[in-house]
Amino acid sequence: MKRRKMMDKAKVAILLVFACFVLVPYVWMIMTSLKTSKDYLMHASSLWPRAWTLDGYRKVFAGSPFIQWFINSLLVTGSVTTIVIITSTLSGFVFAKYQFRGKELWFAVILATMMVPSEVTMIPNFLIILKLGLYNKLAALIIPKMVRMFGVFLCRQAIEDIPDSLCEAAKMDGAGDFMIYFRIILPNLKPTISSLGIFTALATWNDYLNPLIMLNDVDRMTLPIAMNYFANQYVADMGATMAAATLMTLPMLILFLLFQRRFIEGSTLSGIK
Amino acid sequence: MKSNKFVVIVLLPIFVLTGIFLIAPLFYGLGVSLFDYNPVRMRNPFIGLENYRQLLSDAVFKKAVRNTLVFVTVTVALNIVFTLFISTILVDLPWRGWKNFFRTIFFIPCIAPLVTSAVVWNRGILITQDGLMNALLKFLRLPPVNWLGDQKIVMASIILFTLWADFGYNTVLFCSGLEGIPRDFLEAAEMDGANALYKFMKIRLPLLGRTFVFVVMMTIISYFQMMVQFMILVAKGGVNYSGTTLAYYVYKTGFIDKNMGYASAVATILFILIFVMSMIQRRLNRVDWEY
Repeated sequence: MKRRKMMDKAKVAILLVFACFVLVPYVWMIMTSLKTSKDYLMHASSLWPRAWTLDGYRKVFAGSPFIQWFINSLLVTGSVTTIVIITSTLSGFVFAKYQFRGKELWFAVILATMMVPSEVTMIPNFLIILKLGLYNKLAALIIPKMVRMFGVFLCRQAIEDIPDSLCEAAKMDGAGDFMIYFRIILPNLKPTISSLGIFTALATWNDYLNPLIMLNDVDRMTLPIAMNYFANQYVADMGATMAAATLMTLPMLILFLLFQRRFIEGSTLSGIK
Repeated sequence: MKSNKFVVIVLLPIFVLTGIFLIAPLFYGLGVSLFDYNPVRMRNPFIGLENYRQLLSDAVFKKAVRNTLVFVTVTVALNIVFTLFISTILVDLPWRGWKNFFRTIFFIPCIAPLVTSAVVWNRGILITQDGLMNALLKFLRLPPVNWLGDQKIVMASIILFTLWADFGYNTVLFCSGLEGIPRDFLEAAEMDGANALYKFMKIRLPLLGRTFVFVVMMTIISYFQMMVQFMILVAKGGVNYSGTTLAYYVYKTGFIDKNMGYASAVATILFILIFVMSMIQRRLNRVDWEY
C-alpha cells in the first residue's frame, strides 16, 4: 500500500511536468505582453519582465481596430451559434417525431454530408459566395454555416429519448406543432443545446480558413485572421503582438475555466474538431 | 405524429441551405477541376482531365502527398501512444481534484485559438534567435537548432506543435473510455500480481476496443485537414516546399496562384483520401467490439 502511494505521487509529478510544458507558451505570451520592447530585446527568453508596462495593450487599441475585430467575431459567432441551435433542434424534432415520405432517405443525405471537410470545398464555396455577391461581407461567414449536419443528428437522437406520450398529450390539449416545440421539446433539451452551442461557438470563434478566403477588408476581419495580420504588421514589436495574442486567447480561456465540464463535453461531442 | 405542412416548413429551408453550401460545392468542385479556371479572367476553357494529368508530373504535388502522409502517420502514431500513456496514468489517480486539474490544463490548447498558439510558437518558442526551445538546448549545452528554417527539421517542429496543441483532446476521449472499463477486471488481475504494463496490454487496450478505433480514425481524418499551423509556422509552404501539405497546396494553387481548376483537382484527390478513411472508419464501427 505504501508503495502504491509512492507510485501515485510519482504519477502526479510526471503529469505536473507535462502541465508545465502545456502552460509555458501561454505564460511566455502573457509575460512578454507586459514587457517593454527594450526589456524584450535584452532578455528575450526570461519569463519575468524587469519593468512592467501596458504599452503593448495601448498599441493594440490605438494602432488597430481591435474593438471592431472583436465585435465582428462576436457577431459572427453569436449569429451562427443561435441559428445552428434553432435549425438543429427544429429539424431534429421533425426527424424524431414526425412521419413523412422518404424520411430515412433525407436523413441519410444529412449523414453523408456530415463528413465533407471544408478544406475540400473551400474553392467551390468561395466561388458560390462570390456569385451570391456575399464576398467580403460578414454574411459570407454566417449564411453557409447556418445548418450544421452534426447538430441535426445530435438533436434527433436526444429528441427521440423524449417520450411520445408527452407530445401526444400536448396535441390532445390543442397545442400546435410550434407550441409543442417550445413547450415540450426545448425545455427537455437543455444539456444537448448547451453542448451543441459550445461546440459550434468554439469552432466559429476559432475558425481561420473561412474568414481568410471570404474577407478582404481589415475592418471586417474576425479575430483569428486579425491575429495573423496584426502579428505581421507589428513584426518588430513583440510586446504589442503578444498583447494582441493575450487579448484574443483570454475570452475563451475565461469561459472555459468557468464552464469546464460543459466545454469538454461540448467540444469532444463528435470526436472531430 | 403527422403534419406535412410543419415538416415542409422546417425542412425546406434546411435542405435549400444544405444543397447550396454542402452538396452543390462537391459537384461544383469536381466540375471546376475540368477547366483552366481563374475567377478574375473572362474566358475559362474546358480542358478535360488535363489538370489531373498535370498532377502526375507535378513534383510539388508529389512532395505535398508525401508530406501529408508523413505528417498524418507520425503525428497520429505519436499522439495515440502519448495520449494513451497520459490517460492511463490520469485515470488511475486516486485524487479527484488532481484528475480534474490535469484534465483542465491539458485541454487549454484545444480551446485556445490555434492561430494565436501558432503565432506564440512561431515568435517565442521555435524562433532560432532567443526562442525558448533554443534557450532550453543552450541550458543543456546543446547547439541551437533552426526549427522552422531548416527543411529537414521543419516537419518535426510542426509535429511537435500539433502534439502540444492537440493531445488534450484525445486524452479526454481515452479517459472516458478507460473509466467505462469495469474495475473488477483490473482488480482480479491485480490479485494475480499483474504489473502495470500487463494490465494495460492485456486488459485495458483490448477492452478499449471501440473507443480506440474511433479515436484513431477520427484523428487520422482530422489531421488530413490540418492547415493553420502550416500557414502560420512556416512562411509560403516552407523552404523547398518542406512544409507544404495537400490542404495547404489547395489553398496555395487556388488562392495565391489563382489557378482554381488545378486547385480543385488537388482538392478532389484530398477528398478521395479522406473519403476512403471515412469508409474504413464506418466499416470498423460496424464490427462487434462488445465484451
